[in-house]
Amino acid sequence: MQIDAVKCIGCGQCRPYCTMDAIDFTRSVKGNKVHCTVDEEECVDCGICYRSGVCPTDALFQPLHDWPRSVRGTFSNPLAEHKETRVPGRGTEEMKTNDITGRYKQGYAGMAAEMGRPGTGARMRDAEKVFKALAQLGVEFETNNPLTGLLLNKQTGEMNPEVLNEKVLSAIIEMLIPLDKVNAVLETLDKVATEIDTVFSVDLVSKVALDDTVPTAEIMKKNGKWFSYNGKTNVGLGHLRVKGGIAQ
Amino acid sequence: MTHTLHRRGTPENLEQDYVIFSMTAKGFNERGSRGALEEFLRILAKYNVANVGDMKTGNRFIVDKEIIFQNIQDTSIVHAVFTDRNQVTQALRELKEADLGVSVTVSGIVEHVHEACREAGLDRHTVEYSVGIRGNLARLPEDEILEVTTMCGHGMVSQHLVRQMIIDIKKGRRDEREAAELLATPCVCGVFNPVRAQRLLRELAEIWCLDEV
Repeated sequence: MQIDAVKCIGCGQCRPYCTMDAIDFTRSVKGNKVHCTVDEEECVDCGICYRSGVCPTDALFQPLHDWPRSVRGTFSNPLAEHKETRVPGRGTEEMKTNDITGRYKQGYAGMAAEMGRPGTGARMRDAEKVFKALAQLGVEFETNNPLTGLLLNKQTGEMNPEVLNEKVLSAIIEMLIPLDKVNAVLETLDKVATEIDTVFSVDLVSKVALDDTVPTAEIMKKNGKWFSYNGKTNVGLGHLRVKGGIAQ
Repeated sequence: MTHTLHRRGTPENLEQDYVIFSMTAKGFNERGSRGALEEFLRILAKYNVANVGDMKTGNRFIVDKEIIFQNIQDTSIVHAVFTDRNQVTQALRELKEADLGVSVTVSGIVEHVHEACREAGLDRHTVEYSVGIRGNLARLPEDEILEVTTMCGHGMVSQHLVRQMIIDIKKGRRDEREAAELLATPCVCGVFNPVRAQRLLRELAEIWCLDEV
């Protein structure tokens, strides 16, 4: 995002909307006008300052960026739809359609490290550190996830070096693992967490067992690991004959 | 992985925070699903919902509800925010009866959602838990601020906007409801819960001094 210094009147209305606290005041070269400016190194191109519509002089504008800067907007602006997944946002359908896709089967868990969440943003170089640590465990990274698409090597977790300095609001490392690897992944995440300059939120998914228990919850309880009372439940209402739908 | 998973809070204040949402699966049952997704959202909107929205169009605080319904596409993800557990159960019963075929997910306290499913005669299919935050935790704002900002999982509600709202309330520039509804606007999906936010803001405005904001 950028601010047209000529149009900007320095009212600061856009400042609190900035998710990265990257908008500040500055004085014009002649010193006769205060206006706002965006620290483009810290800006993740989420676009919320612009979309909020608070600028009284239409001074905010979003330039079209070339690669690799372009990844900032595609991972940070929830209105950007990734052409690979056609899912807006940063992830995949994951458990939201598991009743149809069967992505997470009995005996397996889905896990994710949501880099930069909540609200800190993340450089891709930190994502690469987490990718590399997890790759050593031999986890299967989700092919449909747009972040996986930035890997040069899925076996080593090496990312395209061109994107490493790019900063995004969040990006999700998503993987599928056998249930008996849940602990190992958590321990690996705990270890690599000490090596990065951002935060990440951790997700844990599993299909409900036939006895109506949640296998991942049982694993966490058995190992004395913390997990939230809050979560998401796919209630199993999906099927292939959607009302009014076209057979695929 | 998700825009509604990591909502932080106490069991008490999360008791008024449930998101019911729906989408169809690409390559399986997506084609021609827009009508079913619209019916889903219209069913939910009959209840006393705190917010509704579709990522493709916006939430009800920035777009008229009818426009949200009309703009629904096959690839939409449509949401409604509930503040009452019993209404969640009733809505699930109604969705089961409607048999739309679209996938339905409920975010909220997992045990409460489990009970709601039992009462509605539904067998849960898949459950996802939030397993906490790791890394440089010193970079996070206070927990009380996170309880508000994490209601938009995409991170569109800035901690600085929340702080500005607390200042505005304390200085009498706007009331808690106006502040909460303004905070709902950046969250395009419509998963931000302004009713819960109003309560959280009131508590913060009462106990925080201006120099703490």
